[in-house]
Order: sequence, then C-alpha cells, then structure tokens
Amino acid sequence: MGPPLADGADLEGPEAVTLSEHAQTNREVWAKNAAEFREPGKRNWAQPEITWGIWHLPESEIGALPVLEGKDVVELGCGTAYISSWLARRGANVVGVDLSPEQLATARELQAEHGIEFSVIEASAEDVPLPAASFDLVVSEYGASIWADPYLWIPEAARLLRPGGELVFLTNGLILELAWLVESEHVGETLVYDYFGFHRLEDPQDGSIVFQLPYGEWIRLFRANGLEVEDLIELQPPEGADSGRWDFVTNEWARKWPSEEIWKARKPA
Amino acid sequence: MSSSDLTGPARTNREFWDRQADRYQLEHTEFISRDEPHWGTWQLPDSELGILGELSGLDVLELGCGAGQFGIVLAQKGARVVGLDNSERQLEHARRNVEAAGVEMELHHGSAESLPFEDGSFDLVVADHGANRFADPYLWVPESARVLRYRGVLAFSGGTAFEVVCLNDETDTWDAMLHRPYFGLHKRVFDDEDGIVVEFELGYGDWIRLFRRSGFVVEALVEVQPPEGAISTYRSEEETEWARRWPMEQIWKVRKL
Repeated sequence: MGPPLADGADLEGPEAVTLSEHAQTNREVWAKNAAEFREPGKRNWAQPEITWGIWHLPESEIGALPVLEGKDVVELGCGTAYISSWLARRGANVVGVDLSPEQLATARELQAEHGIEFSVIEASAEDVPLPAASFDLVVSEYGASIWADPYLWIPEAARLLRPGGELVFLTNGLILELAWLVESEHVGETLVYDYFGFHRLEDPQDGSIVFQLPYGEWIRLFRANGLEVEDLIELQPPEGADSGRWDFVTNEWARKWPSEEIWKARKPA
Repeated sequence: MSSSDLTGPARTNREFWDRQADRYQLEHTEFISRDEPHWGTWQLPDSELGILGELSGLDVLELGCGAGQFGIVLAQKGARVVGLDNSERQLEHARRNVEAAGVEMELHHGSAESLPFEDGSFDLVVADHGANRFADPYLWVPESARVLRYRGVLAFSGGTAFEVVCLNDETDTWDAMLHRPYFGLHKRVFDDEDGIVVEFELGYGDWIRLFRRSGFVVEALVEVQPPEGAISTYRSEEETEWARRWPMEQIWKVRKL
C-alpha cells in the first residue's frame, strides 16, 4: 500500500511506522487506554447520526462537513473509527489512519460487527504512507488534531488533499487548554498557561502529549501549507447538554467559553 | 453625515470623541507621530510586523483616522490617503497635523458604518484602533469590502477577545481570570469618567465568518506581543506585562476576492 519508503522498507506492518518521540509516547498511552475506549467506540458506531465532540452536537446543525457521497476521505487519528464509519455509511470512500494497533483492532472488530468495510492503516498522522493529492476531505476529531504536532500533521493533511479539497478537524478549545488544571484534570476559570508560544502540553498522569496553537499561528500554518481558512466553529453546547463520561468540563463552563472548536480550511482548486 | 443618520452607538461615540479629542491628543500625539508606519498601543514598526508592504501609488482609506498620525505616514510613503473620522473635533486636529506635515490627505466626517465612497474606490483600507474599535463590525466590515477593489486589502489593529474576557471590572485591569463569557462577544458599553462610549470586539470564529461572508480571504492574524519593557502612553507597565503573556492587541489582514 502506498509508495515505498526512501530506504526501500515495506510499508505494511508496524515495523514501517515512523514515529516522532511524542508519537511514540502517545502510542504507548493509547495501548493502555484502548480498552476503555471500546465501549464508547461501540456506542458511537451504533449511532446513526454524525455528531461532533463530547457534547454530541449534530452535524445537521453544525454544518462542518461537505457533501460526502462518492468523496475520498482520510481520517487522521481515527481511533475506533466511528467518524469514518459515519462517513462510509454516507457514501464516502474512507481510509482510517491511527498509530495505535489496539485502537485499530477495535475498529476492525466493529467493522465486522456492522458489516462496514474500509481500509485502516497503522501510521502516525505526522507521516502518512498514502499518496499526495488523493483525498477530497481530511477529517480529524479527537485524533491527530489533538495528539499530533500541527507543524507535522498539517503539512501532511495539505499534501494528501486534492486541489479543492477540505480539511475539517475538531480540537480542544484553546481557552480550555490554557485553563487546564493538570493536577485535577479539569478546566478552571483561570488562564494557567501563556498564550504566546503555546504548542504542547504533557499530561503528568498518563504522560500523553497534546497540542494546540494560538489562533494566529493556526492561520499562519494553514497559509504556509497552501490552505485557505474557511471557518472556525467554536462549539457551544445547549443548556443542560450532557458530556457523559467526559467530566473534565462542565456544561456551565462550556456555555461561556469554547471547550471545542472546529477549523475548516481548503486547498484552493 | 448628520447625527440623525447615525446608529445609536455611532452617535454616542461621536459625542464621546468630540469631548475626548483634545485630551487624547495631548496625551498621545507625541507617542504616535512617526516617520515610518507603526501599529497600535505599543507602536510596533510595520517593518517588523510585515502588514502593509509597498504603499506608493495606492488609494488608501483610513477608518477612524483621529488626528491623522497613521494616515500622514502612509501619505509620506506615496499613498493617496483618505481619512474618515466620526468626530469633527478629531478632524480639526487632523487638519492641523496634515498641514504641518505638508502632505495631501483628504479628510471626511462620517461613520465607518456607512461609507460615503463609491464601490471599488480603494486598494487598501486600514484602521489602527480606529473605527474597528468604535463601529459595529457587522456594518463596517461589509462596507470596507464594498469600497475595496478586487484583491484590495483590509488591515486593522484592535483589541482581542482575551482583552474583553480577562478584564476585571472591579480593579479595572487585566488578570488571568476568565471574567466574562467568550460566546456572544460583540458590543460593550463603558460609562466612566470620560462619559459613555461603545466598543466592539468579536470572537475569532465570528471575525472569520464575517470576513468570509463579506468576500474576504483571511491572510493573517498577527497577535501582537510587545517586547519586554515596551513603552506605551496607553498601557501601564502591568498591562504590558499581561500583554506579554496573552494577546491584548491583534492585527487582521484580509484580502477581497
């Protein structure tokens, strides 16, 4: 699958996965976390509707995605691949990419259970073994958009897109990230981190590394990779909406400040 | 534009600036009178921020030109500059400054919310803590798009959503607390010793959607971090310290397509 590596190594199989140091760390974290993501993955696969983020805001109201029928789509950091499953059911030709073999095992199991087949590839979004200009849509939700370095995965996303193609991804809200209390794993009402220079944050509990950038820096990065900014949708849940098991942010907080945001960018035709 | 044609906020702000103009110029004019283009409350050089580029021969409109300090420098760089301000008192200062500088700069009295210019008249629309702060973006941004030519640029410096969210009303200064919601940012009314003034700021996504809807492509959002010890007649040392950690000032650059 895909073009050969420069050194001639075979891309099939985990030994070909080239990982940055933080990707290696995150891969180990996901090996441990994968078990507890099986049940949410199952529930999401069973859900008919496309929804975004921890508040399950319906795509029918958010309108972040283009028409999916017949489109070639790659999901970066697909995890259990529920997003991919939703897009595949709407007629997209989907490829899921994730660096965690444990997460992909769940994805394959759920594919079989639901009779929805699409390719899943074990790789980091920072170095994707797929050919350039081969997708109409690159999507990420609680995937590469959070756990991969934007300075590495945004150029990859731009490379994978055809002219006219779109990049749509959901990240943690920047304010949420800046107000993150690592000790309690909750978001507070005080900015703990400086905005300028914000890039990565290490979770001292499980050692995972997450990424987020200042708004102007995202825009600069998109432009530097030939992408035009289409939208920034800051998600506000309705009053009383429940985030289920994700209790790091309250509904009250998320009604005031963005807990999640969706960037949309396009590669000009 | 007669006062009765103005929106409520534009009328309020006209009165505010007519009252405030003399004192404002006394406090700041020396600091903001420059030989080269500088932006914002720390007067950072455009040569470092890289916003404006070549100005010679461009038709430029400045929205909220005040006493003309920003526009005069652009005129000195070879641009044909038109300055618009909502305050007649500010324009009196501007006329004096333009004459003293010995440049051509056409001055208009009016609100940026309803521009007295033909479609496609300008190559560049600029504002430096000008109309963008004191006029409704949902009115002045589409108006700027209308008067710009194809591929014309809108560039403006102003406050930020963080500046709004983190202002502590009780101490009247900034700290690390999220004092106010981010969602719904648009208009704020201040009633202090200078009287009532209405200021506008939007969230990042709202700015981007407004630009896109108005026919602009977003080229840059330059978030200004003042250098350590940067001086300002607008900001205290404590405020500058805050602004070194979180954005207090930003410059949008968008292009009409």
